[in-house]
Amino acid sequence: MEALMISGNTKATREALFIALYQKAFPAAAKYISKMGGSFDEAKDIFQDALVIYYEKAVNNQIAIHVNEKAYLLGITKNLWLQKYREDRSNVPFDSADIDTAVEDANEPAVEKLLYYLETAGQKCMNILKAFYYDNLPVKKLADLFGYTSIHSATVQKYKCLEKVRDTVKQKSLTYEDFLK
Amino acid sequence: MRTSLNELKQIEDHLLRLSPPEDTLLFEAKMILDTNLRGNVLLQQRTYSLVQQYGRKQLKAEIEAVHQQLFSDTTHRTFVDKILSLFKK
Repeated sequence: MEALMISGNTKATREALFIALYQKAFPAAAKYISKMGGSFDEAKDIFQDALVIYYEKAVNNQIAIHVNEKAYLLGITKNLWLQKYREDRSNVPFDSADIDTAVEDANEPAVEKLLYYLETAGQKCMNILKAFYYDNLPVKKLADLFGYTSIHSATVQKYKCLEKVRDTVKQKSLTYEDFLK
Repeated sequence: MRTSLNELKQIEDHLLRLSPPEDTLLFEAKMILDTNLRGNVLLQQRTYSLVQQYGRKQLKAEIEAVHQQLFSDTTHRTFVDKILSLFKK
């Protein structure tokens, strides 16, 4: 994860990071899932969710920079497996109060529709907003990455995109009624 | 920045808790009086949540691409065999 801090969080550095993490931690995670009776596909899905959780925590500085990545990923994998096992066994997940580690998919139809619309109609803005709010890139990096000449123009562009997407959300939520419940 | 962008920034500072306590109080008072502002705050919150979901979706696709690359590329044969052998009955 240090590589992201040093050489910047770009698609290429993320790819290199995930290859390294896969090689470092997937064998142990897969071994655990297999021992617990899980399949290859389950091991894959759970490990990929663990990577997402790890990434989100790391870019939000919620993980110490020198944490043992392999042990950390194995820990999340075990938690996710146990959570899944509990949920599969009882259909009443009352005891899943610690669900904040779960990687929920956007499965509400209205949200899906809206995401699909934004992906096709406003991808550039979505990518700028994602870089800033999801990947947590500093504005300076954002400016370099998207070709803005100054921090000021990148900031203005970020707000313009936010406004554009917010307007779309407003307009579409009238159409996709269940979105603004 | 134009006025509407300034309002977006104010809402952002409020939602992401970047504003000092005195500004927060003032902003909350404004929200009580201004239904339009209240609506925009809600919409902006929805927007951040969508951006999160979009980001997560893209990240998952990147991770899946890495998986496909590792499991189809012959240079990683030893790694792949090691994993697959775990699931042989």
